[in-house]
Amino acid sequence: MYRNVLKKDIKRKKTMNIILLIFTILASMFVSSGLSNIVTVMNGTDYFFDKAGIGDYVVITQGVDNDAENALRGSKYTESLKREECFWLTKDEITSGDKALEAKNNTVIVQPIQETGIKYFNMDNSEIETVNKGEIYLSAGTLERSNLKVGDTLNIKSHGVDETYTIAGEMKDALLGSDMMGNTRLLISKEDCAAFKDAEEMKPYTGHIYYVKTDNASELKAEVSESRGTLFQGERATIKLSYVMEMIIAMIVLVLSVCLVLVSFVLLKFVITFSIQEEFREIGVMKAIGIKNGKIRRLYIIKYLGLAVIGGFVGFIAGIPFGRMLMASVSTKMVLGNDSGLMLNIAGSLVVILIMIGFAYLCTGKVKKATPVDAIRSGQTGERFKKKTRYSRRKSHLPNALFMAVNDVLSAPRRFIIIVFSFFLCSIFVFGVVEVADTMTSDRLITTFGKKSDIFITDTKLMGIDFLSETGDENQKKTLDAIDADLKKMGIPGKASMEVWYTYPITAGGRTTSMLFQQNKRTHADEYEYIEGSAPQSKNEIAITPYIAEDLGVKVGDKVTIDFGEEKMECIISGSFQTMNQLGKVLRLHEDAPTKMSFASTLMSIQIDFDDHPDAKEVDNRIRKLKDHYDIKDVFDAAGFCNDCMGVADTMNMVAKLLLLITGIVVILVTILMERSFIQDETNQIALLKAVGFKSSFILKWHVARFMLVSLIAEVLAIALTYPVTKLWCDPIWRMMGATSVEYFFNPVSLLLVYPGIILLICLAASFLTGLYTYRIKSNSITNIE
Amino acid sequence: MAAILEVKDLCKTYIIEKRQNNVLKNVNFSVEEGDMVAIMGPSGSGKSTLLYSVSGMDTPTSGKVKFDGKDITDMTANELAEVRLDKMGFIFQQMYMMKNLTILDNIVLPAIESKADKKTKAEKIERAEELMRKLSIIDVADNDINEVSGGQLQRACICRSMVNSPKILFADEPTGALNRTASTEVMDELVKLNGEGTTVMMVTHDSKVAARCKRVLYIVDGNIKGEYVPEVHDGDTPLDNERRLNNWLMDLGW
Repeated sequence: MYRNVLKKDIKRKKTMNIILLIFTILASMFVSSGLSNIVTVMNGTDYFFDKAGIGDYVVITQGVDNDAENALRGSKYTESLKREECFWLTKDEITSGDKALEAKNNTVIVQPIQETGIKYFNMDNSEIETVNKGEIYLSAGTLERSNLKVGDTLNIKSHGVDETYTIAGEMKDALLGSDMMGNTRLLISKEDCAAFKDAEEMKPYTGHIYYVKTDNASELKAEVSESRGTLFQGERATIKLSYVMEMIIAMIVLVLSVCLVLVSFVLLKFVITFSIQEEFREIGVMKAIGIKNGKIRRLYIIKYLGLAVIGGFVGFIAGIPFGRMLMASVSTKMVLGNDSGLMLNIAGSLVVILIMIGFAYLCTGKVKKATPVDAIRSGQTGERFKKKTRYSRRKSHLPNALFMAVNDVLSAPRRFIIIVFSFFLCSIFVFGVVEVADTMTSDRLITTFGKKSDIFITDTKLMGIDFLSETGDENQKKTLDAIDADLKKMGIPGKASMEVWYTYPITAGGRTTSMLFQQNKRTHADEYEYIEGSAPQSKNEIAITPYIAEDLGVKVGDKVTIDFGEEKMECIISGSFQTMNQLGKVLRLHEDAPTKMSFASTLMSIQIDFDDHPDAKEVDNRIRKLKDHYDIKDVFDAAGFCNDCMGVADTMNMVAKLLLLITGIVVILVTILMERSFIQDETNQIALLKAVGFKSSFILKWHVARFMLVSLIAEVLAIALTYPVTKLWCDPIWRMMGATSVEYFFNPVSLLLVYPGIILLICLAASFLTGLYTYRIKSNSITNIE
Repeated sequence: MAAILEVKDLCKTYIIEKRQNNVLKNVNFSVEEGDMVAIMGPSGSGKSTLLYSVSGMDTPTSGKVKFDGKDITDMTANELAEVRLDKMGFIFQQMYMMKNLTILDNIVLPAIESKADKKTKAEKIERAEELMRKLSIIDVADNDINEVSGGQLQRACICRSMVNSPKILFADEPTGALNRTASTEVMDELVKLNGEGTTVMMVTHDSKVAARCKRVLYIVDGNIKGEYVPEVHDGDTPLDNERRLNNWLMDLGW
């Protein structure tokens, strides 16, 4: 008999059962893929680094005259060492046809695939085991940046080498893959590498990368700090931090997964409660004819178990490609994954099934308490002491449809809170990412990279590698003087300067370590912003960041010793500043500090400050003039320079669009399913309105207005809370990157118009199309109401 | 008196699981302005189908229904909706109301929706309140629909049906869900409205209710089997009329 009751129930309440099944599938899909993605993101860089075998400490050198290898091999802290030989090039030495390679930075590394080094991965995360002769792999993202494709040819012409390769693909590189690491790596075959080894002129540009396994990286670092020829030394944690932007994006997927899981459970709870309320009359009849509570409950729990198992299984299957799609969009440079395989997906789907049964068990709990009459009356005893309606036609000047929409929301807010919650949760997240992306492409972050100048030039044509040599100081002076003269000739009143990073050993509290120092000899140190103390006033004063203070165990007012090569100088720490350069691990020197270009490791940019404070239009005009004059491309205003430094604004925008797409899908699904549930619940009211002469278009307006109202509330709430919520989740990320205080950029066009507008339009379209179903309810349906 | 409703050869057929079910078979009758007609008949005889077919809520399979001089069987859904809103009133057995609106808002809603007259919103609310006062439910104007009794609710439904001053009032078992006292109250109101000029056509099972109408149509198997017009005798009590109607009904197999 129970089987028959169930069969009839499934047939008769087809719509509600289908809605419930779809919600279960969605919940299972979101939870199973979400759980797997959460673990994947939490594993994040460690999984990638372990898979690549990057070790605990990395040293990169240039030139034959370096003693880092000896220091590493001689250290008692080195457990094992892997070594790769590489060759340093500049990006303009690599061409495809008549186009130069568009690399992340000026310097490019070329090397063969070596058994002694780390592992590299194809874009599908499989390991690159061999590179064929004549072929070349490029760091992920280079093809798109250079507008190249697999199969194109690439020519390297540098210091006696002139070789042409066919592009075989892109690779995921654990050490240099992040945008923050800056260098593009090219992977060639062992046979092709012979040309580089044999070229005598290439010798000074030969370098090595050491991957060290150690259990005491900080002591190892101290031992290697004074080695000559090292361009980079970093612990695993520092390299991990270079993936911070990639991880931010991955974390976005994590938070999105959590949001989707929350939305799924809330919706599931609503639909089950809603569905069981529909069953109450029948429950009452069964009670009235003497069927025991346990049996009634079992009947419904079996039904929900069936729906949960089918929905859970379908959701599990659908969750696999969905989860992969989400991860693929954020891990173009990383190999993300977990060792659990599909177990987490299975666990996620099982959780949904269990929760659904739990909800069904709790919701049918009322069966026990209610008398048959209560149940027949759908659990309502007819007595109610709290007024339901909140809005009256007397007070309202709204048209009927809108009045009814407002009244419905005010009278039964609980059923609409779920929609507001779902839309709000997805929207605030999209808006947050948009706000961060807008901030990255504005000039708000400029002071976290340096001084706010009018123009920044990073083009290799002017920032040649010749600066980083014994004659670098003279070359720098000549170049800047020439630019000053050119500006004068072009009638542009301004002066050029250059931000340079130097590597010097610094001793604090008896411990010596190698650190990066920033200096611009043609500006004053007090032109930068400080968060504590004051700017360095003389050559023996320096400023530090909070991260350096923590690293060295020093504070403002303390003294440290810097070994400038020719002289050791005791310097006093005059102030503290925030910077995202080197993730905050950099010090600032006074312009008179005795630096030498032979100790320089990176040229940040050539900056031009105008004397006449031109407006943005004029700055653009001057940028064009400079580009034409020097025939260069990489000339930016402050906002463009920030964007170039961060390097992830495009990815963030892409993620924002992906989130918008997912939000759109959630909005569509929630709207369709909730609206369909409402129509089902309100069939008698719709039929009544039609019977007394209301047109179908009126009903449609009423239903659409109701959804638009709640989505508008959700959007307004999301907009209002975007700033504090974004601050909450994004400030810790900025702090990880070195910026302790970031002023966000609220772009009214994107955050008040475009994104909320798109979400509202999606809701409008979904509610309109679903609402058309009300046209199928005829006025005579009033005679069929049970 | 002119006929407000003329029904000619009205047929209604339902197809249920490939089986044809002829609910109405060539029904012909007319209702004059100011008339009060009861339709009676056994369960499944087609009473409600007839009511819904002639009121434009259901589409007849064939035949013509002329309301106020216009054939409503040729009208579009929107034209029919306008006719129902402006010229017809409906009372159902179940006291269907919009659950999130107060009693007053339920009544005034069709008035505000109607574009038939130039009354302001305030005047329409005033009209609704006047009707409520007349039917003695003004005290519950701002109550929720489940804060009032069944009788009050059905009277509210009558107010809603009357708010646009319709030419005809259709009622499907208006007292079917009410107790005897509430039933008498509702019928008193309908008789009063009819006395004021509103045409009433109702479906009922209750001969006590039908006895208060001016005309009774008896329908069996989709055909009108007979028409009863009460004779008026001096010194008659309401019970006498009801007794005569019952006798007539019994003659027809009731």
